Amino acid sequence: MRRPGIRSLAGGAAGIVVGVIGGIAVTSSSVASGPTPAVPVLDAVHVSPLLTRPGEPVTLRYAIVCAPRDDGQPCEGSGSVYVRAGQTGLFRQLRLKRGAESRQGRYYAELPSEIASSRDGFSYYAVLRDGTGGVATTLPAGGEAAPQRSFPLGDATEVDLGVHAFGADRAPDKRVVAAPWGSEPGEAGLAGSRELGFGGPSSFDVAPDGTVAVLDQVNGRVEFWSHGGVKATNVGVSGGLADFALEPGGTMHVLEPPSRTSPAPVLRSFRGDGSPRWAQRLSDRTWAKLAVGPAGPIVQQQPSEQWLPVVGRGAVFSRGAQAAGGRPGRPFANGREVLVERVGAGELRLAELAGNEVRRSWRIASVTALGEVQLAEPYGDRLVVVMKTYTDDRSDYAALMLDRGGVAAEFAVESLEWAESAPLARFRLAGSSLYRLGSTRTGLFVDRFDLEVSR
Amino acid sequence: MKAFLAAFGVAIVLAGAAGAQAYHRFWANCNYDAPTFMTTMTRDAAQGYANAARYEGYQWGGGCWNYDDADSYPYDAPGDPSTHGEGGDCSGLAFKTWRESTDDWRDGRYYWRALRNVHGPYTAGDFKNGFGAPNHVVAKSSAGVMDAFASSTHIGLIFFRSLYGGDQIVEAKCEACGTNIFYRTYRSDPSYGGVARWGWTG
Repeated sequence: MRRPGIRSLAGGAAGIVVGVIGGIAVTSSSVASGPTPAVPVLDAVHVSPLLTRPGEPVTLRYAIVCAPRDDGQPCEGSGSVYVRAGQTGLFRQLRLKRGAESRQGRYYAELPSEIASSRDGFSYYAVLRDGTGGVATTLPAGGEAAPQRSFPLGDATEVDLGVHAFGADRAPDKRVVAAPWGSEPGEAGLAGSRELGFGGPSSFDVAPDGTVAVLDQVNGRVEFWSHGGVKATNVGVSGGLADFALEPGGTMHVLEPPSRTSPAPVLRSFRGDGSPRWAQRLSDRTWAKLAVGPAGPIVQQQPSEQWLPVVGRGAVFSRGAQAAGGRPGRPFANGREVLVERVGAGELRLAELAGNEVRRSWRIASVTALGEVQLAEPYGDRLVVVMKTYTDDRSDYAALMLDRGGVAAEFAVESLEWAESAPLARFRLAGSSLYRLGSTRTGLFVDRFDLEVSR
Repeated sequence: MKAFLAAFGVAIVLAGAAGAQAYHRFWANCNYDAPTFMTTMTRDAAQGYANAARYEGYQWGGGCWNYDDADSYPYDAPGDPSTHGEGGDCSGLAFKTWRESTDDWRDGRYYWRALRNVHGPYTAGDFKNGFGAPNHVVAKSSAGVMDAFASSTHIGLIFFRSLYGGDQIVEAKCEACGTNIFYRTYRSDPSYGGVARWGWTG
C-alpha cells in the first residue's frame, strides 16, 4: 500500500466536505418540500331506493365528498341525475338541488311521480362535480351502461318479526371445525393485541362434499376440514381481513382489503394447490361481500352499491368492464337475482328478480333493530335469509326461511364473534345446511345447522 | 481526483443516510399551529376531511399527515408512538375530524389542518363512554353520517350507510390497514357503542 500524498489527502478532504454538503442539501430539500400535496379524488356516496312501495315518494340523495377546503367549509358541489322510467330507453336529466343538511346527503332530486311509480321501476345514474369545475365523477361508475336500477316491491309478502327474544338460540347440529388459536396444522391464526383488538380467520366456504375451507390469512393458508382431518394449502395473501370463496373445481378466490401499501382492494385467484392464477384490482374503493356467480367471482361494492363481475366469458375484467357489468342483485345459477335493501332501523326489503322483473318480494319489519344481512340465497322454492338483530348491548342472528306465505321456518343463532372476520362472511349455505363461522377466546369454530330438520 | 470522488461518494451516502434517519421522523414535517376557531361544522365537510386522510397511513398516538396519498412510513412498529410516523390513529382521526379542543371541557369547533400534529385527549374508550364536553352517546340504530362507533380499543366514523345494512366506515385501524374506508358491521356488534359529536351545523 502506497503512502498517500498531500494532493490525495487534500482531494479526499475536499470530497468529504462537498459530499456532506451535497448529501445534506439533497435530503434537506426532500424534507423541506415534503411530498407534494395531492388533491384526493372526488368521492360520492349514494344508497339507491332499490325496492319501492306503491305510492312511495322517491328522493335520490347524494353526498359529494370533495378535497377539504382551507376555510373548513364544505364544497359547493353540483351535478345531475339522468333518470328514466323503466329499465331501457332514453334518460332524462334532473339537476341536483343543494340542501341545508348533509346527514342524508346534501344533494338531492325528487323524482316525478310518473317515474317513481312506473310499473317497471326506474333506472338512473349521476354525474357529480366538486364545484371547482374541473373534477367530475359518475355514480355508479358504469353510467348508462350499468345504471342503478330500482323496482317496485309490488305485492310483497309482509312479515312482522315483532320484538326479538334474546337467549332463545338454536344449538348447532354439529360443530364441524374446532381450532385453537395458533399456527400449527389444525390451529387458526390470531392477529392483533388486547390494545388493538383481535382478528381471526376472516372467511370460509364449504365444498359440495361438505369439506369446510377456512381462510387462515394470518398464517397465509387455507385449511380444509373434512372427516379425514385437516389439510393446509399455502396462499400468498397480505394478512388483512379478506373474504373468501371456493369454486366447485377447487379454485380459490381471496378478496383483499386495502392496506398500507395497496390502497385499493384486490381480488386474488388461486389454483387448488395454492399457486396464483391472477390478481385484479376492483372497480370500486370498498367491498362488502364476495360470492361466486354463474360466470365466476362477483363482488358487492361501494360506492356503486352493485354486484360487479370480476370474470366473464373466460376473461378477467378490467375495472371498466367490471363497472359496465354492474347489477343491483346477486345472480344465482337459477338465473335469478336476489335484491336486498335494509331500510331504516328495522325494515328489510327483499325481492327475487328474473331479468328486470320482480317475481317474488318480501317486506320484513322488526321492532328490534336489524343489522347487516349476512346471507340471502334461494333454497329450493324458499329464500334463506340470515341477518343480525341487535340492541345497544346484545345481538343475535335471525335465520328465516321465506316462501310466498311468509316465514316457513326460523331460528336464532347466538353471535359468538370474539375475533373479527370479514364483514359479511359469517354464514354460508351449502346443500341443505347453514354453516356459521364463529370464535371465542380459545379458538375458532364452524357450526352446521341443518335446514331439513323439523322442530 | 480519484480520492476526491471516492470520498465524495462515501460522504454523500453517509449524509443521505443520516438525513433519511431524520426524515423517518415524519413529525419533523408537522407543525403546532393554533387551530382555527369555527362557528360552523358540517357533516359533508367532515366527510371530505376524513376522506382526504385515506392512504396517509396510521400512527399509534399520532395525528399528522400530508396529502400525498401514501403512508411515508408504513412499517413502523405497531403500538409504538415513538416511531413518529405519518397518519392518525383511530381516536386521533376522530378528534381532528370532529374539530375538538385539546381541553375536554370545551365544546367549540376547532379546525386542525392535516399537518398540525395533534392527537387530542381521548382514547377510543373515552369516546365510547361519551367522555368530553363535545361528545355524547347515541343509540346505534340512529347513528348517521359522521357519527361513530367506538369500542374499548377502536373508533370508526360512519362515512355512509349501505344497502346490506352494514356501514362504510372511515377509520385508522392499524399500521397494516392504514387509513381508509372499509365496510364494517360495528353497528350490530355489542362491543361497539354509538357516539356522536354535538354541534353539527349542517
